[in-house]
Amino acid sequence: MHIPDGYLSPQTAGGLWALMVPVWYAAGYKVKKTLSARQAPLVAIAAAFSFVIMMFNLPLPGGTTGHAVGGTIIAIIIGPWAAVIAISVSLTIQALFFGDGGILALGANCFNIGFVLPVTGYYTYRLLSRGAAEDSPRRWFAAGIGAYVGLNLAALITAVEFGLQGDLFKAADGSALYSPYGLSTAIPAMMIPHMAVVGVIEAVMTSLIFVFLLRNNPSLLHSYDGIRAAATGRLQLKPLLIGMALLLVCVPLGLLATGSAWGEWGAEEIQADVGYVPQGMDRYLGRWSGILPDYAFPAAEEADTGEEPAGAVSLEGVKESVPGYMVSGVVGLALVGGLAWFSTRLLTRRSRKKEQLD
Amino acid sequence: MADTTADTGAGAPVFRVDSVSYRYRETVALAGVSLTIGAGERVALLGANGSGKSTLLKMLDGLIFPDQGHIRALGHELSAEALKDDGFSRMFRQQVGFVFQNSDAQLFSPSVREEIAFGPLHLGLSLEEVGRRVDDTLHIMGLEQLADRPPYNLSGGEKKKVALASVLAISPDVFLFDEPTAGLDPKTVSFLERMVLQLSDAGKTVVTATQDLELARVIAERVLVLGEDHRLAGEGPPDEVLTDRELLLSSNLIHDHSHRHDERGLEHIHPHSHLTDHGHQHG
Amino acid sequence: MTEDAALPDWLTGHGRKRSRDWTPGDSRRQSAIAGTLLGLSRLVRDSVFSEKIASRPGLLQNLDPRIKLVGMLSLLVTVSLLRNWYLILPLYGFTLVMAAASRISLKLYIRRVWLFVPIFTAIIVFPSLFNVVRPGDPLWVIRDFGHQVTLGPWSLGTSLAITYQGVKGAVLLILRVVTSVSLGVLLALTTRWADLLKSLRVFHIPRVFVLILSMTYRYIFLLLAMAEDIFTARTSRMVGPSSPREDRRFIASSMGTLLGKSHAFSDEVYGAMVSRGYNGEPVISHSFRTRPADWFWLASVTLAIAIIIGGDRLLG
Ligand SMILES: Nc1ncnc2c1ncn2[C@@H]1O[C@H](COP(=O)(O)OP(=O)(O)OP(=O)(O)O)[C@@H](O)[C@H]1O
Ligand SMILES: [Mg+2]
Repeated sequence: MHIPDGYLSPQTAGGLWALMVPVWYAAGYKVKKTLSARQAPLVAIAAAFSFVIMMFNLPLPGGTTGHAVGGTIIAIIIGPWAAVIAISVSLTIQALFFGDGGILALGANCFNIGFVLPVTGYYTYRLLSRGAAEDSPRRWFAAGIGAYVGLNLAALITAVEFGLQGDLFKAADGSALYSPYGLSTAIPAMMIPHMAVVGVIEAVMTSLIFVFLLRNNPSLLHSYDGIRAAATGRLQLKPLLIGMALLLVCVPLGLLATGSAWGEWGAEEIQADVGYVPQGMDRYLGRWSGILPDYAFPAAEEADTGEEPAGAVSLEGVKESVPGYMVSGVVGLALVGGLAWFSTRLLTRRSRKKEQLD
Repeated sequence: MADTTADTGAGAPVFRVDSVSYRYRETVALAGVSLTIGAGERVALLGANGSGKSTLLKMLDGLIFPDQGHIRALGHELSAEALKDDGFSRMFRQQVGFVFQNSDAQLFSPSVREEIAFGPLHLGLSLEEVGRRVDDTLHIMGLEQLADRPPYNLSGGEKKKVALASVLAISPDVFLFDEPTAGLDPKTVSFLERMVLQLSDAGKTVVTATQDLELARVIAERVLVLGEDHRLAGEGPPDEVLTDRELLLSSNLIHDHSHRHDERGLEHIHPHSHLTDHGHQHG
Repeated sequence: MTEDAALPDWLTGHGRKRSRDWTPGDSRRQSAIAGTLLGLSRLVRDSVFSEKIASRPGLLQNLDPRIKLVGMLSLLVTVSLLRNWYLILPLYGFTLVMAAASRISLKLYIRRVWLFVPIFTAIIVFPSLFNVVRPGDPLWVIRDFGHQVTLGPWSLGTSLAITYQGVKGAVLLILRVVTSVSLGVLLALTTRWADLLKSLRVFHIPRVFVLILSMTYRYIFLLLAMAEDIFTARTSRMVGPSSPREDRRFIASSMGTLLGKSHAFSDEVYGAMVSRGYNGEPVISHSFRTRPADWFWLASVTLAIAIIIGGDRLLG
């Protein structure tokens, strides 16, 4: 599931970095509050652990590879937010030293494997094991299902990231610039092996480890409960989560807008892109066009005709659309930046206030 | 109990431990231990595996805190609360250095140089001062060639030296050593012994937890024995305690057949005593 | 503890027939997973943890790590921006030159770059060459069906062909991947881990993250050693191959043990850090100093980037 460099357009990779930064800040904040100074060794060791687990790479049919991540079990033991940091750290080391997963794609990999996976896995586990007795089989079952759901959601998001490349990023002659497959190929290619094999491995491993710990080291399974109970006061993450949701909505817009404009200064290029981007936008993000009407591009009605080369867009249309395009891009960028800044600001102010009280 | 511990040694007490108990969930590690350690003293803490030596040292280093009882260190109550105070905590960490039993836990930095710099840096020394201390420490410990090596693939003895160096660089007044010689070759052991004596000559307080009676004899001027019941089983000058066969037997520091080890010449390798057997059985 | 118990018979081997009729490579096969793990951990130790190349003098080794990081990242971004495959080639050539100037054996370097990701990419990209998967202008018609072929709901068109667009896309992707991996490998091989970490501070990465990264790196080594012990202990005890079911249980229990051990271990490490003055606020120092040579290198990299991107935009 590790995306290497070269498969993602810089726009996508950059957008996912932008998404991950506030997540890391939130996780760092949460972890600092719950684990305080102890966070460094605990998270470091969890990261090393996840690294070791991820080293078991299994080749899968269809040319991809898969491996267990252990994200869910780690999240159960040290908490989902500490797990976000731990797995991100482990992915960073893999990227820098093994070339396993790209460096530019690190934001994407951290988002998929380091954030979506453990958080989904953990909350699925919590939901399914709610009220279950200490030694109830429902608990380890819930851990396994959590792992399965988490891993497959991560795989799905990865597949969508891949698929968007094939659908959105093409040269004027229709050849692929990045990963060549569209959503309709990428999703089944990714999901079939993950649902059938990798997810099952992850689920079985997670359950087995869970049972083992239940029998041999039950206190470990409760360490996070203890940490949560000991943490003073309720942690308000709601503003951040709302911010995140907004970002999730805005980033695709922002990254498409800014992305195509990245480093482009010739009229032909803009023409090519403008003709091109909305085709994909219309197909996959069409419903957003209502929110920012400026995003309506001249080529929109041609989208359905499919493989029409972008150069066919009339110059007339381009001239009209350029300002709209720019405005939308700037608005998108400003929104993303503003939200990131605002959430960071909120976090630091809150922690500063806390410190003063202490 | 507190009064039974003699105030031997020079100067005011560095540590005063008063009926301290500690347990790890169900496991009892210390059960009502009282002792005093004076400034500049060289003390050996003897005890069999699991008797609670490491636990006691961690407590003296303010890493864990007693379930019952009190500890005073450097004239202050030593508690989680007290250590929350930045000033006290910095002063305490600067004055008390702890060399862990497990070097792997103690060495977490990417290079030997950074390992040694960690303490001085975190105690707020200036960069030049840190650099000077690191260089000096590398020099006295003979670690110059290893300076840029990552600590994880050093040999056990080298790791121990680096661990010691990382504490030396802080220049504490009180050293806590947890089994410093376990698993080391004789040359490194004698190097460590000399180091301890030198530190002591420089007026430092040295507390060494060990199972090695020979080491205790060489480096200590007072010996404390922790029994299997996690209480203080005895204490006194080394020549008294280390010849008290009864005490050593009951605390599992030697056993009846230990003379056999002598015949085979398994000296430093084996934790059991050979020294006392000479004194009592064969001597 | 108090008495030396006599060793039991099953241990001393008295009064028991021992089986000695074992031939190497016979039934005591190492289980596949144990083999993988041992191999991997050796690989990690040999190729990654050894900083031999990084401590050798050479072009990249002598650069200020911060400058090197910034330069390499800019090159990576450039590689990802280019639209013409033939413009990636000079960048790939540039990495070869830098590797040679850094006294990296080209054989090792090329093997390390090409061995995994590019081959993997080639496999992945292969189906996209065909018009059945991705429509395009036929470059080489392999089979002309002469009529519309359908497979269930899918229409496969009238011929099977490798397309011009498919080949172009594949070449572009593979070159992009190879050059990106090359840049990453160069950075990793020529920079000492400790320096690389500290140079991350250029990007204002919080100190705690840098600290965690540096500790993780160290503990990977430790955990691998632990895992290796568990596996060798088992292989040496095992007679005959193990069933997949046993393997699974065994892996799960080792992972569980490893988790428990490492969790307890982190407490100990925390103690060791606190004991030396750590209070949750890491201090990170470095003694990097840039020299004119560093800036010169960065300037040439920037110039190269400008020329290549300019060319790319001109060529469309
Ligand atoms: N982290 C821990 N969790 C649970 N029990 C522990 C822990 N650390 C120590 N113990 C237990 O507490 C008791 C005292 O341990 P301690 O490490 O202090 O002994 P020790 O005298 O240092 O032994 P050794 O000579 O083997 O180092 C032992 O029974 C041990 O099993
Ligand atoms: Mg101990």
